[in-house]
Amino acid sequence: MRSLKLVLFSTIVLNSCDPFVSDFSQAGDAIMYEASDIPDSISVYDGGPIKVVTWNIRFGSGRFPFFGDSCGDDVIADQKHINTIMQQIADTLNMIDADIVLLQEVDVSSKRTGYLDQVQYLLDNTYYNYACYASMWKADFVPTDGIGKMNTGNAILSKYELTDAERIQLRLRTDQDDLVQYFYLRRNILKVKIPSLSQGGRDFFAVDIHATAFATDDTKEKHIEQYSEVLSDIVVENGDFVSGGDLNSVPPGSAIDFCESDKCDNEVCDDDFENNDAYQGSYFAHFDGEPDILLSLYNTYSPAISNNDGSTLLPENHTHAPSTSMLNDSTYTKHDRKLDYLFTNGSWQQGSGYTHQAAWELSDHMPVSAIYTPASGGR
Amino acid sequence: MKFIFCILLFSTAKTLFSMNASWNSNSAEIITEKRWEIGLFQPFRYGYSEKTEISAHPLIFFVMPNVSVKKQEKRFRGFNCASKISFRYPTPLLNIISKKGIGGVIDPNLESPPMVSLSYSWIMSKSLNGFDMTIKNGIDFALVLGSLDNRATIDLPLVYHRLALYNNGWGYHNGIDIQKRINKSFSLLVDMDFLILPEIAKMQSDPSFKSLRGLYSLEHKFLLSWEKSKNFRVTTGYKLVRAELPFGEQTRLLPYLPLFESWVPIIELQWAGVKK
Repeated sequence: MRSLKLVLFSTIVLNSCDPFVSDFSQAGDAIMYEASDIPDSISVYDGGPIKVVTWNIRFGSGRFPFFGDSCGDDVIADQKHINTIMQQIADTLNMIDADIVLLQEVDVSSKRTGYLDQVQYLLDNTYYNYACYASMWKADFVPTDGIGKMNTGNAILSKYELTDAERIQLRLRTDQDDLVQYFYLRRNILKVKIPSLSQGGRDFFAVDIHATAFATDDTKEKHIEQYSEVLSDIVVENGDFVSGGDLNSVPPGSAIDFCESDKCDNEVCDDDFENNDAYQGSYFAHFDGEPDILLSLYNTYSPAISNNDGSTLLPENHTHAPSTSMLNDSTYTKHDRKLDYLFTNGSWQQGSGYTHQAAWELSDHMPVSAIYTPASGGR
Repeated sequence: MKFIFCILLFSTAKTLFSMNASWNSNSAEIITEKRWEIGLFQPFRYGYSEKTEISAHPLIFFVMPNVSVKKQEKRFRGFNCASKISFRYPTPLLNIISKKGIGGVIDPNLESPPMVSLSYSWIMSKSLNGFDMTIKNGIDFALVLGSLDNRATIDLPLVYHRLALYNNGWGYHNGIDIQKRINKSFSLLVDMDFLILPEIAKMQSDPSFKSLRGLYSLEHKFLLSWEKSKNFRVTTGYKLVRAELPFGEQTRLLPYLPLFESWVPIIELQWAGVKK
């Protein structure tokens, strides 16, 4: 009897000891989702091209002046604002009507967004039926600026069933002290298999990444290297992939110093790239080779927006501007650089790559879509 | 920063304790007239008269004015009875921890208006077969003079249900304590407390969102005390909380050290004396 009580007590205690801040293993399972209602008619792939979109939805906050990624002061968004933006994001995704959606900065249980599970919300308010999610920031309570509970990360939505979802841990920043790092982000790559899109014995994968934005060390280089390895492994194992995300890197040939346009009122751009916080996220040459960091991806795989003809540098393909970046007192800078990309080891339909800049108010990033053409022309 | 953490630690820790016996702040027993007791996390208690006890948490008094008065009532069916009225004014504390940077627990854009709470508890204690049992029931009311933003909550076990009272307007609490003296120096305490915020879901500003939760907090503790003398004792143990919070249910063993991701035992020191 005493042993039984001990076992019962130990069970309670162990179950009550979820970590305060989740420290993820190098590779782990992602969390799977399904829409509340899955109509058979659109959950079966019927052949033809496959449309893919990537979008950093900035936790459904639109151009909310969040303190963490812009010059804003706000922390906890108003629930009605989040609800309005999330509905508009769902409407936009329905309008784009992709088969596969790669999302970044999706909140599933965060105080800043009213604890709305945005993955489930999007599944229940769009044509998508299946999703997987990998957290990049999961803490019971972040005691800074009133952030509180946080659970945000990458998600992949699909019309077709997903299997073998995998969360691949990206290297942590090395330019932070232990206390800050304990409560900080654990970025990742989310990789999932889509069996119904497999063809000729070749597995089909969707791979989603959100690389570091603010590191001033070589973390970004390591993230892109890890990303390349994940994609390369798929190719080595005779798989096909569509992949993309917010790489927080500018394309080769782009401007690299956005400090003057990104800086907050109290900041000065003084060329102290290493120590001045104004250069975090606004300067793209923190280490040797950073301006060309994406060159190997462009050379190895097929990009949705071509780099060879200079398309990646055109304003119509810019995907980002900080949410509080202003041209003047009343006009937002809608976009001034490209940070979001799509790649495949197959091919995209010629000219199908498109940046949906009309959605600029719904996030500080804009969706990029393209149509993947299966090798046989149809699956 | 350290100051804020000290306040938070204290505010949380004082809810971890609340002990019984002659050091007893939760039983219907009234502290002996002119005797005082204080602990690291326990309130300062003072026997104002034979039938009246006054208590307050002195360390946080200046940022959260608080006072409780416990009064002995007529015995009922073998139970010693007491009533307790508690008053708290948390506004200054909440506005201190509503700040930018590390230590900011509440969104700095959300200012807490003046607000007070009043709690009434009916307490009954009885000795049964060598066990001292206390049952308590009570109701909590909060008055907010202004607009309190529903986002200005601290969504942590133990803390949420005590602060969301100001959002909800009222709450209900009850509990049972059982204490056993092992020998002259050692005693054990096991208790269970239940806090309810009955209409908390109605706080929801946007009905299309997932319903805001936080209905209940079920709190259990186990404490072992060593009484060195009538004037000093040491207590250790744990507190286990199962609570519904705005994001869902959570169970936590406390105290919990986040950086070490580990539970650590409660350590409480208490001192007592008699005013001449």
